[in-house]
Amino acid sequence: MEPQLPMKNYILLAFLFSGTFLFAQDYGNLSGGFESDFKWYNNDSKTGEFIDTNFPGTDEHVRSNNYLKLDYTYKKWSAGIQLESYLPKPLVGFLPKYDDSGLSTFYLEYQSKKLKITGGYFYEQFGSGLILRSWEDRQLGINNALMGGRIVYRPTNDIKLTGLFGKQKEAFELSEGQIFGVDTEIDLSDIFKVENYSLGLGLSYVGRYEETDIENPNFEELTNAFSGRLDFSKNSFYASAEYVAKTEDAIVETHTINNDLVKPGNALLLNFGYADQGLGVNATLRRMENMSFFSDRKAQGNLFNQNIVNFIPALTKQHDYLLTNIYVYQAQPSVVLNAANNLAKAGEIGGQFDMYYNFKEGSTLGGKYGTKLAMNAAYWANLSGEYDLLNHDYEVDYFGFGQKYFSDISLEVRKKLSEDWSTIFTYVNQYYNKKYIEERSGIIETNIAVAEATYILNEKQSIRLVGQHLWTEDDHKNWGGGTLEFNASHKLSFYVSDIYNYGNEIKEERIHYYNIGGSFTKGANRFSLNYGRQRGGVVCVGGVCRYVPESTGLSASISISF
Amino acid sequence: MKKLSILFLFIGFAVTAQNKVPSTYLETLDGDRTNIQSLTNTDHVTVLSFWATWCMPCLKELDTISEVYSTWQEETGVEVIAISTDDPRTQKRVKPLVNGKSWDYTVLLDTNQDLKRSFNITSIPHTIVVKNNKVIYRHSGYVPGAENELYEIIKENSN
Repeated sequence: MEPQLPMKNYILLAFLFSGTFLFAQDYGNLSGGFESDFKWYNNDSKTGEFIDTNFPGTDEHVRSNNYLKLDYTYKKWSAGIQLESYLPKPLVGFLPKYDDSGLSTFYLEYQSKKLKITGGYFYEQFGSGLILRSWEDRQLGINNALMGGRIVYRPTNDIKLTGLFGKQKEAFELSEGQIFGVDTEIDLSDIFKVENYSLGLGLSYVGRYEETDIENPNFEELTNAFSGRLDFSKNSFYASAEYVAKTEDAIVETHTINNDLVKPGNALLLNFGYADQGLGVNATLRRMENMSFFSDRKAQGNLFNQNIVNFIPALTKQHDYLLTNIYVYQAQPSVVLNAANNLAKAGEIGGQFDMYYNFKEGSTLGGKYGTKLAMNAAYWANLSGEYDLLNHDYEVDYFGFGQKYFSDISLEVRKKLSEDWSTIFTYVNQYYNKKYIEERSGIIETNIAVAEATYILNEKQSIRLVGQHLWTEDDHKNWGGGTLEFNASHKLSFYVSDIYNYGNEIKEERIHYYNIGGSFTKGANRFSLNYGRQRGGVVCVGGVCRYVPESTGLSASISISF
Repeated sequence: MKKLSILFLFIGFAVTAQNKVPSTYLETLDGDRTNIQSLTNTDHVTVLSFWATWCMPCLKELDTISEVYSTWQEETGVEVIAISTDDPRTQKRVKPLVNGKSWDYTVLLDTNQDLKRSFNITSIPHTIVVKNNKVIYRHSGYVPGAENELYEIIKENSN
């Protein structure tokens, strides 16, 4: 890892920055945000004593993650810092390396109409992120900002050029590997003065240079990825295509570089849609083969989502309820050849279809207030081909569906019944192949039904009630659940919820995951408090998931923006 | 600990500062790019509503405002800009959803959440009321009825 500045220097730097802030406050614009997530983990007589496998031997039940971000803008210049503090240790399930306090990111930026130059830590995304994306998600413990430099140049309104270089942030350290990137976006329809349709072209290059300790490597230290994309839209119709090719690189399995299995990777993403007043339809198709891309090769498959170069979200519907979020698909870009488990995969192929429809007010199905319909269907499978577990090799077909990973069909109906009552009904059918998705065993098939009603008591108060049920003969068996929410005013809300796998034949394994809490909001500031038992599993935001162990306890969070 | 107390001091200073809308490029649903300042630097009130296709309370808020939006516009000239913070996973769903719901808002895409980050928004829905490029009110979260409070603020600040 990179040698780090001593803590003292960081503090000094923070002082210097803040000095500038105070001095220039009258002349520029200062903004910022503070966020704190606190948790007190309790021992639970039902689910066991509190243990943190990331910090064996420690007995710290109280944890907190704290973030302070300050940004200052003066004319064409801006600068900012983010300080983070994990006291006394990070929340359970976060990267253990976060166990520290100090300066996390800083940047200085110049922006004019045509030119933007950034030094320090920055966030960037090329196209849909399939080739490069750096972003921050505190809930997932992701901050893969690039530390280096970036230039964005817009010579005309129709052309955008980006060049960047950097190492990736990894908690308070930086990645070993270096990232280089170039991106071009051209609005072709504007250049050719076409009026009746719009056409955009994007071309990108991303290089990752990392020296390894492998003797006589059969692969290059520099791995290159190229991508081309087109975006087209005409009236209500739109379509886009993106293709990424990654040059040959060693396959990494269980954090070990395999010098004898060197393969290229590629991805194809297609999207078609039609959207007009009252109707929207969208279809997305994706095929990926060996597309995981990390700034440090050995980070492949790490549980903490560190060193991610490209963004590969699961293209499925992001569900809204507790029981619809138990079996969540995670995208499968990687190669796994595991003879012990008789498991072989090299990527994924599949797609999803969405439809939104609005039955107008006054129509038969619309009724007095209209009816809104949303439907989604997704199907994902392994790439078909020859998988040779004995010789540890594979050869896949370009278009062919292999073992099914996952499917999800959902239908949602939103209906306002009267001025005071509104309802949402949801039905979901899922197929989840635990062996292929999680590398464990079993297949789970579920049917889920959810009914939600909101009743408005008066101008300021309302009640929300949710009832849900999951039917399955697999895994933890049938679940039932409910939520009751009371909005006491626009600022103050309370809720109580519970889900319970009552269908489990083994009585000891029937567990109530109950939660009770409230939140107070004033302007852009929010405080919330919760006590309860969290189900262990994946927490997903934007298609990226983090594993969270089961826990019981008190949690509080504060967020302030200014 | 000393660090922390200094930091709190800064928050104190900063809270008093009045914020401007930062110069940030956002994508339109037709794939064009537009600087948000060009839309907010006006005499009438603009509401920036940060939402996402997967965010339930966001959809409820925008559905509710949608029912009264034409009245709001007639009475105050307010412009609501719905800024989608959807990442590439769900971004392709924005256009069909907006049409499926027959929303009449200007919809912009904050592709890699640059504007959301500039405003230090940690959770959505998040509503920012702007006039002449200056932030006059912010609110996080949505509960039924909160749209009336928002409309009071719009009316107070409209000519």
